[in-house]
Parts: sequence; structure tokens; C-alpha cells
Amino acid sequence: MAKTLTLADEIVILMLDDETGNIKPDFRPVARVAIAAGALMELALIGRVDSDLQSLFAVNPQPVGDIFLDEILDVIAGDQNKHPSAWWVDHLSRADKDLVAQVRSRLVDAGALLEERRSDQFFYMGRAYVPSSGEAKGEVKARMMSILFKDEVPDSRDILLLGLVHSTGALSAILSNDEMEKAKPRIEDLTALEDIGRAVEAVAGQARDSATSLMKALYR
Amino acid sequence: MEIKTEIDGNIAVVLLSGRLEAVTSSSVETALTKEISGGHARIVLDMRHVSYVSSAGLRVVLAAAKKCGSAGGGIAIFGLQPGVHEVFSISGFGKIIPIAENYADARVKLPT
Repeated sequence: MAKTLTLADEIVILMLDDETGNIKPDFRPVARVAIAAGALMELALIGRVDSDLQSLFAVNPQPVGDIFLDEILDVIAGDQNKHPSAWWVDHLSRADKDLVAQVRSRLVDAGALLEERRSDQFFYMGRAYVPSSGEAKGEVKARMMSILFKDEVPDSRDILLLGLVHSTGALSAILSNDEMEKAKPRIEDLTALEDIGRAVEAVAGQARDSATSLMKALYR
Repeated sequence: MEIKTEIDGNIAVVLLSGRLEAVTSSSVETALTKEISGGHARIVLDMRHVSYVSSAGLRVVLAAAKKCGSAGGGIAIFGLQPGVHEVFSISGFGKIIPIAENYADARVKLPT
């Protein structure tokens, strides 16, 4: 792969249907939340934002040279009020733009996804985005297995990625039920470590609850 | 942030004073890395004079603990002020890195 993937890129890869390149139905309620949180996590890891129990704030508004991240950094740096991490995750996830399409386009640029034109004998059916290889997804899986089953102090990037993977429910696609049960205490310990990790867990839970309530109301 | 290091046998005792946050974390990281690469993979962090710790500050401690572990040692912390203790407590840091009341206790809890 030509470019290093950000956390937002990696979580989208896990949520995509490999056949169509669309977000799998199970992940649709939380996809935007995960992308927003992934961007905040990336900015935190490169020292542009920091957070504490009360707020998330910009510490260095200098652009990082990534349009997607710089737009978000600009919004945070330009806000004069104090907001906790969960507020920012929720606020950015409601941005008036197609976050999934934005990240998918980054993944095509990075060579992690291939854009394919789909058509039948007569009609153009649209575009599909398929993984260029299983490499990116395989790497995330390997890192999750390592962080959960090796008795070592994990690094912050992997802890943050675990927070994203767990909050979206994508971890169940990586671990068997037995592995999930065995790893449960470690998942709880590690996902609590990072402030933005705790935030995405809470906001994704709310998004999932809202989607469930909406579906119940529709089919009542 | 003020950083002082004292050596006690095979343990490096690193005394931090001030705020441990994004702006100051790189100097702490440099100091801790220097101790580890200098052969002191067993480190006790004296945090009695640390008044504030942000997420970036926690990450520096975690990164140092990882490096110490890889070098066959470990890290223990003592002397958390109430506000800092709350940050460590909510994040459950004590499940990953030993947190002690005082230096003697930290020495005991330090991974061998």
C-alpha cells in the first residue's frame, strides 16, 4: 500500500462489504460516529489535539497536510467553547458531508480499495469498491489478536483502534464467540484507557439505540 | 515541566513536577527513553508534584511502560494528587501499570 492508513481508514475497511464497497447494514448506524472518532484519535496521536475529563481541545492548529484531518482540526481550533470528547465525536459525526464517501475515496487513493464500474449487459449499475488485497483487513485483525491475547503493554494506536472496533461491533467479525468471551475482561480494561475510546463507546451506543427505536417505530 | 532523575540501585526514580500534557509530554518521553536505553528498565515515577495529566500525558506513561516491559523491566507510579488520581482511576490505568501510595510501596509493586 502506498500510504499509511489512519484509524478512520482502518475502521471503514472493517465495516465495508467486500463485494459492494458499501458499509455493511449492521454498521450503518455507527459508521459516521466511528469515522469522526477515528479522525479525533488520529489528531490526538499526532499531537494536534489533547483531552481530559472535561474537554477535548486543539493544542497545535498547524495543518497536518491531510485535507480530511485538517478540516476537523480547523473546526476544533476555531471553537472557543469547551466540549468533552463525546460531544465532539457526536458533533463531527453529524457533519453535513458524506464521511463514508470521503474515507472511501481516501482508501482508493491509498491503494487499499479499487474502484470498479459495475454494469450488466445493457446498463451501468454504479460503482463498487473492493479491497485491493486482504492486507489492510488482515493487518487490523492481527493487531487486535495481538493486543488481546499477548500479555504485553499495548501501544496507544492499537488501544484506540480496539476502541473503534469494539464500539462498532466489528470485533465480533474478528473473534470467535469463545475468543470474545475469553478476551472480555481485557477488552474492558483496554477500551477504558483512552478518553476518546470511552467517548466513541458511549456515542456509538446512543446511535445504535436511536436506530433500533426508529426501526421499532417504523415496523410497529 | 521539571524532570529530575535519581538512581536507587537498579531503579531510576523519575521525579516530575508540573503539568503532564501534550505540550510537555515530549520532554518526559525523552527523559524516560534515555533512562531505558541507558539500562534502567525499572522506573518509578514520582508524581507527587504533578498537578494535571491529560490523555497525551497518560500515553507517554503507557509508552514508557511498554518500552520498559520490552527491555525486561517495568514502571510503577506513586504520589498521585486527587485530581490526577481521578484521571488514572477513570481510565483504569492501575490495571496496566502499578499505582502506589509511596515510594516504598512502588518499589515493591515494580515488576521484576
